[in-house]
Amino acid sequence: MIITAQELQKWINTGESFQALDMRPEDLRLQFPLRGLDAKSATVPNLKKRSKHRTVLICQFGLVTEGLIIENELKNTVSLLGGVEAWDEYRRTKDDYSRYARQTALPELGIKGQRKINGASIAIVGLGGLGAAAAQILAAAGIGKLYLIDGDKVEISNIHRQPLYSEEDVNKNKTAAAAENLKRINSGVTLECINEYLTEKNGELYLKSADVIIDATDNISSRRILDKISQKLVIPLVYGGLFRFEGQVAVLNHKGAPGYRDIFPSAGEVENSRMESGEAENCRDGGILGMLPGIIGNIQALEALKIITGITPDLSGKILIYDGLTHATEIIEIMK
Amino acid sequence: MKITVKCFSHIKYALGKNKIIINLEAGADTADLEQEIRGLAEGKLDGIKFVTALNQHYIKIPVELQEGDEVAFIPPVQGG
Repeated sequence: MIITAQELQKWINTGESFQALDMRPEDLRLQFPLRGLDAKSATVPNLKKRSKHRTVLICQFGLVTEGLIIENELKNTVSLLGGVEAWDEYRRTKDDYSRYARQTALPELGIKGQRKINGASIAIVGLGGLGAAAAQILAAAGIGKLYLIDGDKVEISNIHRQPLYSEEDVNKNKTAAAAENLKRINSGVTLECINEYLTEKNGELYLKSADVIIDATDNISSRRILDKISQKLVIPLVYGGLFRFEGQVAVLNHKGAPGYRDIFPSAGEVENSRMESGEAENCRDGGILGMLPGIIGNIQALEALKIITGITPDLSGKILIYDGLTHATEIIEIMK
Repeated sequence: MKITVKCFSHIKYALGKNKIIINLEAGADTADLEQEIRGLAEGKLDGIKFVTALNQHYIKIPVELQEGDEVAFIPPVQGG
């Protein structure tokens, strides 16, 4: 029912027989002329249920024509995925963005935003519940490059909340297993695996080329290290944390926004004192349902994508607290 | 005066509630309220430090409370 810009170009190059119908109203056809494709303008009454000719329907974003095919039960007819927007971009750059048609149709994003996503790199520190969820959706969204940083291996007890991994990944390095599975989602994403835990020593080296850092770690000392490096390298940091049914997200060190230490100045002391008394709690000893890191990791990915594309408002200068039991969301303004 | 306290993470589990209303004497501030909450938790919050938000705004120093104020105490969480 759909054809991508790249596939359509192949039809043209190989001399496939088809007719192209431009379903857009005249004003759009004039404003955004269709180039490189001989298409007749048409309206709904012109459409035939069983067209003799293989037919490609074209609209601005590829959404209207997909609907027309379903509603009118059109046979032998396909819709150009991503419409004129994706077709133009493919002709100009040879980048086929048609698979992102559902997100480029958003006026806040468009093809321009997609270009930024494809050109950006994000470092995900920690490939547990938060990091696996963020990596999965960012790869699907077409991020240019992901730095996957974690020194851990996949355990069977991870999979209930980290469905990026499967049973056959158990005992594999998380970075390698994640990369293999992310490639299946989107082969166009560049993946750099760093099979180490992030430390103060290696952090700058591994993070310096990222446009955004996602803090998906599971301990406060790592969060403090990330905050320090993010401030030094002037790279925004998207913090996420979990406690049983609750999650926190904040955009830190972005356009003058506060950092982790501004929000939780005594966080390290808390952890140390709790550790000493054996009370420190992470997902392992506090318990967690898999949906929670999925929700919070996706919010972190959304904030990272908003930073890259310039979509506002974002969570800079705010901390979001989500309660998975009541679904109440609290947003608190923070300050330096 | 009545103050609404929103309880998050450790505090919610220590008190068993998402939200509680605390009656304080006029002139009390957020530090007095924190003491009250720690007292109600009967030691379960010992060693846990948290930050304070008054009416959805983070505060760094104790602020005098007014009738109807809403206060949230937020501990850092580490799970990921």
